[in-house]
Amino acid sequence: MKTIMLVDDSATILLSMSTILTKAGFAVEKASSAEEGLARFQSGLKPDLLITDLNMPGMNGIEFIKEVRKLPTHRFMPILFLTTESQQSKRDEAKAAGASGWLVKPVSADQLLGTIKLVMK
Amino acid sequence: MDAIQQAFVVESQELLQQMEDNLLQMEEGQGDPDTINAIFRAVHTIKGSAGVIECTFVVGFAHVLENVLDKMRAGEIQPSTGLVELLLACTDHLRTLVGCVEGEATPDEETAKASHDLRQKLQGFLGVPPVTAGKTMPTEAESEVQASGGGMMETDNWHISLRFGRDVLRKGMDPASFIRYLMELGEIINLTTLPDALPDASEMDPESCYLGFEISYKSDADKARIESVFDFVRDDCIVHIWPPHSRLADFIAAIEQLPEDTMRLGEILVKCGALTPKELELALSAQLAASASVLEASGNEAQASPAAHPRLGEVLVNQGAVAPEVVEAAAVKQVKVAEKKSLEARLIRVQAEKLDQLIDLVGELVIAGASANLLAQRSGEEALVEATSVMSRLVEEIRNSALQLRMVQIGETFQRFQRVVRDTSKELGKEIDLVISGGEAELDKSVVEKIGDPLMHLVRNAIDHGIELPEVRVASGKPPRGTLKFNAYHESNSIVIEIIDDGAGLNKEKIIRKARERGIISESQTLGDSEIYALIFEPGFSTAEKVTNLSGRGVGLDVVKRNITALRGNVEVESQLGQGSTFRIRLPLTLAIIDGFLVGVGKSTYVIPLDSVVECLELTAEDRAIAGRNNYINLRGEVLPFLRLRDQFEIADPGGKRENIVVVEYAGQKVGLVVDELRGEFQTVIKPLSSIFRNIKGIGGSTILGTGEVALILDVQSLVTFVSSQQFRRDKTELVRV
Amino acid sequence: MAKNDAGVRRLVIEEDMTIYTAKAQKELLLNALGDSEELDLDLSQVGEMDTAGFQLLLLIKREAGKAGKKVCLSAHSKAVTEMLDLYNMAAFFGDPMVIPAEKHTSRR
Repeated sequence: MKTIMLVDDSATILLSMSTILTKAGFAVEKASSAEEGLARFQSGLKPDLLITDLNMPGMNGIEFIKEVRKLPTHRFMPILFLTTESQQSKRDEAKAAGASGWLVKPVSADQLLGTIKLVMK
Repeated sequence: MDAIQQAFVVESQELLQQMEDNLLQMEEGQGDPDTINAIFRAVHTIKGSAGVIECTFVVGFAHVLENVLDKMRAGEIQPSTGLVELLLACTDHLRTLVGCVEGEATPDEETAKASHDLRQKLQGFLGVPPVTAGKTMPTEAESEVQASGGGMMETDNWHISLRFGRDVLRKGMDPASFIRYLMELGEIINLTTLPDALPDASEMDPESCYLGFEISYKSDADKARIESVFDFVRDDCIVHIWPPHSRLADFIAAIEQLPEDTMRLGEILVKCGALTPKELELALSAQLAASASVLEASGNEAQASPAAHPRLGEVLVNQGAVAPEVVEAAAVKQVKVAEKKSLEARLIRVQAEKLDQLIDLVGELVIAGASANLLAQRSGEEALVEATSVMSRLVEEIRNSALQLRMVQIGETFQRFQRVVRDTSKELGKEIDLVISGGEAELDKSVVEKIGDPLMHLVRNAIDHGIELPEVRVASGKPPRGTLKFNAYHESNSIVIEIIDDGAGLNKEKIIRKARERGIISESQTLGDSEIYALIFEPGFSTAEKVTNLSGRGVGLDVVKRNITALRGNVEVESQLGQGSTFRIRLPLTLAIIDGFLVGVGKSTYVIPLDSVVECLELTAEDRAIAGRNNYINLRGEVLPFLRLRDQFEIADPGGKRENIVVVEYAGQKVGLVVDELRGEFQTVIKPLSSIFRNIKGIGGSTILGTGEVALILDVQSLVTFVSSQQFRRDKTELVRV
Repeated sequence: MAKNDAGVRRLVIEEDMTIYTAKAQKELLLNALGDSEELDLDLSQVGEMDTAGFQLLLLIKREAGKAGKKVCLSAHSKAVTEMLDLYNMAAFFGDPMVIPAEKHTSRR
């Protein structure tokens, strides 16, 4: 079973996303902050895909994925941003930091699962 | 409401509170980038979450608000008093909207109108002409489907040209996934992999992607759907999608832009079935003409070689300017931010219900532990007694830890009043600073939830009746700005909350006059200071001469007192005329578990909350003789009124010869409770009373003893009050007699 | 790793061929090609292959051609076969693809 890691400071998003993903047959891991997510990666969790929020208190999504891309074991992991932010400059920044893709909230389950298929190896 | 909606409501309420706190900070001129960012994030998250539950009225409103905040974040809009005012109004409005979600309702007409009005005002700050209601989200302009007409391609299939960007693999993606996805959406008729871009071994970076694909494709999906597959690699990759029978000229123009040699590409496309040989011929002749004109124009210098074509993908990547990192100004601030980060990361969110369940279980464990302890002691087996006592100690630690989990700091509740103070004082034309101290004092969440209303009432009371108008203050030699202080501290298993104002103070004469008018006290009655002040908590008492729309809404301070009493707490007031008043609320830290003192009366066992027990002594025959009918003894020179539990609870059995007196204290008042037996300390879980007991005065709850027997928990506060009032009545009759 | 007299060298790739391993494998493959006339790549142990891995195969095949050498792929694992099929490149490599029975024995 493929594992997806969700990182979002919103409990609502975590709950709704994990409901969709679990139903679609994925194993879901959740973290409510970038720091927590990073710690989990450092302690060995290696999901097949990371879906993260952009704007989070503490470490933001961009800083977060920059850190993830530094981990030798996670360097090439697919990473999707799921955010309400739709600014192009933010997207570019995310791209430059190593994001695989960008989804603007709200996403339908179809759109989400389609995108996951595209990025997950 | 389903679980996700519930999560949304709770989360949004929290965020709105933070937002309000931050806005108030900003109003006080502390609008640093962090604050604005935090406000933005709050709205941003609410909007995102609202989208998930498909709550369009929240999304629409939050969207415009977010835009304004975003511009503030970027420094394009400067915060002004007017703007902050508007943002506060928006916070309130969002709260209303979230309330609609909670009530599973759609906004009524009035709310919808408010949404519209606020949105218009926000648009004003965006410098965008106000939109009419209904249109909220900007819709992305549909990219025009390739114009058709004249010189169509003959093929019935779609054609897709892909050149993946160098960084695709490094960003965790794989072209293979895209092709697999296309296979799900339709049928790949032919796929040609183009390895042409792969450089020499020495230059080839194994982590870069060099591949391109020409795909002939059959699908019933529409163009938008197929395009959407490549939506987020579009920036890094060259993607061309041609529906069946596209205009040939467009197609040729596009393939000329591709990095590979046009001739080679043309052959591939013919092989793919995208082009017929005839179409290719046409294309090539067109290209020849084009390069000829280029050569002509630039003389002999430039050679229009295919390699010189700019690669769109690379251009796009280069265009993706990275926003400059925000440089932190001071090292001190960095440390602060880091600390905050680590603090946030250590927090986890737990459903309150789960905690309650845990605490319930711990309660049962405490009882079971007590039972085991009792049995062990009866057995007289030393090892067993030893073992159970170790267990008891651990259980006690677990209990403390469990209760600790539900402890929250009072500070957050205090903060909530910033807004109340601000709005209320503005409304009344007063100037008031709110000073908060002791916000780190903790108490049980269940208590916090219930203390909000009483606090609100006291705060409004202090602003309305306590602190004077600036002119009045200046006239009496005080600074024009009044101060309202919140303070909290722990005192022997209670939390004390003080609301201190530097206003006019309570006027004793006025209070007495009013109390007499209202028949609360008699004409002849003389009272001490604290008794006089206590009168303001009597039902039907209100000192305000003019009823304002704030505190004079027919709800008096008696309600405050009743609410606090219901929490096993009490409230008192101290005042100095002209200097101000202090309202002091005393509350138990938790409502769930108490340390009790077991006493026996006849065959019944009662539990007295240990924190109220001062001392225990034997009621000697001598004392009894002196006490006689009056029911008080001389305790080291003090008069100590007492109450026989046997009388209070109408226990029929006459009891033994020996009697003990347990001295309890509540809010500075001591009273003796006369019992037969002292049975020692006992930790106990408060169970709510069944309805039969609810009317008995002096009982606060029940618990189950280790033996399985039910014991009633005494409500010391009501007993003390009862005894003092008895005493008071007696004093009064004596006074009359004299 | 074995080398017979005719300069044919057999190299067993003993791990996945993905982007995580690509850098090291590029060196490995080029070195192996460097000191042999003919390189026989045993891909039976390749449990996973992605586009980075596939590109390496393309590279080594092309480098061999340039140097007048030969590279054969043999004992393709399922992951390798799938990748070559997806990219429609089996013919490019021109190696006989293993039949299922062999595939079975060659996989762990």
